Amino acid sequence: MDFDAIVVGAGPAGSCAALELARAGKSVLLIERGPFPGSKNMYGGVVYPRILDELVPQWWEEAPIQRWVTRRSTMIMTPTQALTIDFRSQNWAAPPYNGATAYRPDFDHWLAGKATDAGAQLLCSTVVTGVLRDAAGAVIGVRTDRPDGDLTAKVVIACDGVNSFIAKEVGLYGKVDAANYTLGVKETLALPKEVIDERFGVRGREGVDFEVVGCTEGVNGGGFLYTNLDTVSLGVVLKLPRLAAQKKRPEEIIASFKKHPAIAPLIEGADLKEYSAHVIPEAGYKMLPKLVGPGLLVAGDAAALCLAAGIWLEGMNFAMASGMYAGRAAAQAVTRGNTGPDGLKPYLEMLNSSFVLKDHRKLQHIPHLVLSDRVQNQYPAFVANIVERMFRVDNPAPKPGLRRIVREERKRAGIRWRDLLSDGWTGMKGFS
Amino acid sequence: MLAVLFARDGAVPAGGDEVVAECGGRVLVCGTGAHEAAAALQVQGARAVETGQFEPGTLAQQIAPLLDDDIVVLPGSPDGRDLAPRLAHVLRRRLLAGAIRVTEHEVFLARGGGREIHEVTVDGPFVATMVPGVRGTVPTPEADHGVPSVAEKVVAGTASGTDCAVLEVLGPDVATMDLAEAPRILGGGAGLDSSERFDQLTRVATALGASVGATRVVTDRGWLPHARQIGTTGCVIDPELYLAFGISGAVQHTAGLGQPQYILSVNTDPHCPMMQLADLAIVCDANAALDALEARMAERMAGQRG
Amino acid sequence: MTVVACLKWLTPHDADDRFGGISPADSSALEWALRLGAARNEQVLAVAVGPAAADTALRDALACGAHRAIRVDSADELSSNDVAAAIAGAIDGLDVSFVCCGDYSLDRGTGSVPAFLAAQIGARQALGLIEIVLGNEVIALRRLDGGRRERLRVDAPAVLSVEGATATLRRASLSGALAARTAPIDVLAGPVGSHLPTARRPYRPRARVLPPPQGETLDRVRSLLSGGTATKSHGVPVELEPEEAADRIIAALDEWGYS
Ligand SMILES: Cc1cc2nc3c(=O)[nH]c(=O)nc-3n(C[C@H](O)[C@H](O)[C@H](O)COP(=O)(O)OP(=O)(O)OC[C@H]3O[C@@H](n4cnc5c(N)ncnc54)[C@H](O)[C@@H]3O)c2cc1C
Ligand SMILES: Cc1cc2nc3c(=O)[nH]c(=O)nc-3n(C[C@H](O)[C@H](O)[C@H](O)COP(=O)(O)OP(=O)(O)OC[C@H]3O[C@@H](n4cnc5c(N)ncnc54)[C@H](O)[C@@H]3O)c2cc1C
Ligand SMILES: Nc1ncnc2c1ncn2[C@@H]1O[C@H](COP(=O)(O)O)[C@@H](O)[C@H]1O
Repeated sequence: MDFDAIVVGAGPAGSCAALELARAGKSVLLIERGPFPGSKNMYGGVVYPRILDELVPQWWEEAPIQRWVTRRSTMIMTPTQALTIDFRSQNWAAPPYNGATAYRPDFDHWLAGKATDAGAQLLCSTVVTGVLRDAAGAVIGVRTDRPDGDLTAKVVIACDGVNSFIAKEVGLYGKVDAANYTLGVKETLALPKEVIDERFGVRGREGVDFEVVGCTEGVNGGGFLYTNLDTVSLGVVLKLPRLAAQKKRPEEIIASFKKHPAIAPLIEGADLKEYSAHVIPEAGYKMLPKLVGPGLLVAGDAAALCLAAGIWLEGMNFAMASGMYAGRAAAQAVTRGNTGPDGLKPYLEMLNSSFVLKDHRKLQHIPHLVLSDRVQNQYPAFVANIVERMFRVDNPAPKPGLRRIVREERKRAGIRWRDLLSDGWTGMKGFS
Repeated sequence: MLAVLFARDGAVPAGGDEVVAECGGRVLVCGTGAHEAAAALQVQGARAVETGQFEPGTLAQQIAPLLDDDIVVLPGSPDGRDLAPRLAHVLRRRLLAGAIRVTEHEVFLARGGGREIHEVTVDGPFVATMVPGVRGTVPTPEADHGVPSVAEKVVAGTASGTDCAVLEVLGPDVATMDLAEAPRILGGGAGLDSSERFDQLTRVATALGASVGATRVVTDRGWLPHARQIGTTGCVIDPELYLAFGISGAVQHTAGLGQPQYILSVNTDPHCPMMQLADLAIVCDANAALDALEARMAERMAGQRG
Repeated sequence: MTVVACLKWLTPHDADDRFGGISPADSSALEWALRLGAARNEQVLAVAVGPAAADTALRDALACGAHRAIRVDSADELSSNDVAAAIAGAIDGLDVSFVCCGDYSLDRGTGSVPAFLAAQIGARQALGLIEIVLGNEVIALRRLDGGRRERLRVDAPAVLSVEGATATLRRASLSGALAARTAPIDVLAGPVGSHLPTARRPYRPRARVLPPPQGETLDRVRSLLSGGTATKSHGVPVELEPEEAADRIIAALDEWGYS
């Protein structure tokens, strides 16, 4: 065997897996197709690195972050209205912090550096094109796109991101359904730091995270707007089948989001620096693939461990955690000399007892709810109209009672009581 | 300031006239047909020295003793570019290559891939090369053709083994020619609908003996390399014939067109600037016209062969 | 004997070392060096004059099959003569057959390093090549102006400089790529730049000397507004079907004498 373990993909999942293996004294090769880790990776822009407390204590002192998220707003939008729930906490502006905005080329590069510092070997500009298997079908290595490009290892960890062909090739996925994917598109817009500070009401390294529902022109999904030091990241995530069915182009949806009266003033005069698009796995707990195969573990997006549901966009934290557990489980299996399915099984137990699967279990109905037609198309107008009428001054008519407004607006929006109650129940249950 | 030109068969190199103008008419022409080339420059007192084919190592040794000026300027044509460092080496002088302006004490150099200008203040002797096409000249009237040139002698060739052996010189090839030098250019713009159109454009151009050019919209899309872009941020061209297919004629484009004798434009919009400039302006879908033209050229070829 | 490839490390002006690399022309030069080395059964040496980041390019060269790498350490912007001297110093004492360079570097872009190098090491030069044929002899096609080309026989020792399209750099083997990550690179002390006083500003084209516009007042005005193009406009646009258009174009070319 050339290595104890080969990790495919130097995203957050792969780097954490390699770091954990190297720390355990195993020989590990991390293979990345880009010229350096993170070079081509994209995401919305906010990372929640709490899990790093375990791997890189005091990570906040060295991680290449842009701003600390101290303000989190959830916005409900109709073409002419916007209702915002705005939360701010100065507790998040100091160690140990909560969330941060960061650029992937910086963050992934830094995290992979931690793995190589610990002794992992990193090989860039190399694409894994297949897995090597023994007669019994167990994974024993990888094939790359380089001449003489085969390498063997006791364990292969697939951290190759969404649409992991490795997981598919080994048969860990059932039937792949487009309904389980969303498309994320993002623009990076440049603005001077002072302008961002002023428009978003932040200082120094403080930053904001806006999550928006109802801004996607009837295509089920959501929008986001995050502040970096001198750019903002603005984008939408869109349900793939809907996008296709409605014959809308993501650029059009982003353009109309940018023109919304609640957004336009925030980004006025900004220069477009970058446009990118990427698929997000959004399978939900029930649709997760098998995470363990013979000689193979799958982590991060490759295992569809990502939470993308309109107002949530968390994947980096799940990727780092699942990568870390995969590395840990693989190292133990190598030490014990059992890298078969049962030898690798502790990986599942680690995931099950951590937030990785607990969150997915708890929130299993939430993505469906947030992306449902009612939440997407009916509730925003319903809620916004109620608020509009509460604040509207209709003198000489007297102020109407709230109950009447709600009744009228529910009718106008065509929402049945039954649905409203059941959606409310799902929401409550989902978070309790 | 003295211009040094390497002539081939009596032809002045690209940018040669500009360098001569920059040096106020002082020039030494070497190469083959040096006298003829010196005469064609139409400047009094042009010096000429017959040195044979391009052997830069030997040539630098031969002509260095004739260069009594503190400042020697060559055109940045292939021969000038390759001879200048050799001369600087023999003369033990500094080389300031890729200038867009040369004066006694100040040289402006194009740097950073043409994004920057470095204004260099210089004292004492140096050798410079000047980018062809940046200066422009006013052609002298044909009338006083044949200003006599002064012949000079050089020491015989130095030891062999200094240069490569020239096997042959091949005539112009429109496909590999620098756009700046191409006499016929077929340009394509955003009116052509796909990258395959540009393969087709190249085939038609070759059949017409023309080189292919494009607008920035096209090169930005990566349908042709940047070297094929015509305009202020691309190549400045000076063809006799320009055929524009689906090009609107924005000023950034036309500013690089030079003064073609004939312009032909195919565009669906009869009012765009390119159509206004054209000698023959055809309102038609450029893609379909290209298909038809390619078919016609094929028929013609077949006819000629048959 | 040794074949040398000269590689210049470049970082884009708005990015850091991670985004750096060598030019397509230098990649081609490396490929030619490797081919020459294989054909002549000689060692291939990659040389870069530049900062520590340039080691990345040298390691890539080793991964592709170069046998040795030398970096002359210098973070300065050097004149092409100084760069050539640094390379000449690095290969001094070696029995060099061919040195392969790119035709132009992307930042300085004067293509003068190779000629200086040839002068300094007493080699022949064949520069601005658009084709190389390796057989018993090295035959090269050099770009001239006016679209002409010159075919040369290049005997060693010689410096070659090639355009980027002449060869595609081979892909490094997996074992080569793995080994190169830790392969040693010899680092030599480099020269310090000696600079003339220089002011830098964004590029602005020099005002070109143009003949005064000719023709009627309106034509002269139009000529000035169009950036000096076409003093005349004869054509009233004609609307044609594609087939007719093709015929008209061919007829016009014939009439103008370009058939
Ligand atoms: C538009 C959008 C917005 C998002 N916003 C957020 C957000 O704000 N916060 C958040 O936490 N998450 C967000 N996510 C999700 C997050 O990006 C992912 O969950 C996370 O990147 C997963 O990490 P990973 O390491 O599993 O995979 P990736 O980050 O995708 O890394 C996979 C790596 O493997 C490499 N690779 C792939 N195939 C091969 C191969 N065959 N050979 C070699 N290398 C290979 C790739 O180059 C890449 O480096 C967003 C996603 C999208 C698309
Ligand atoms: C700082 C700066 C520098 C620039 N430098 C350059 C430069 O160096 N070179 C350059 O070229 N541009 C340059 N530009 C860009 C320039 O301004 C124009 O945008 C560009 O030249 C337009 O290219 P185009 O004519 O191909 O496209 P368009 O302007 O989009 O024109 C397309 C034309 O095709 C026609 N058309 C459409 N469909 C058809 C059809 N089916 N058949 C026939 N015709 C059709 C249209 O009527 C139109 O006239 C620069 C711009 C800036 C700001
Ligand atoms: N700093 C350098 N280190 C190594 N090679 C160089 C360096 N600068 C230039 N060269 C070589 O010389 C060629 C022409 O560069 P230039 O003369 O700068 O246009 C390049 O393509 C390289 O092959």
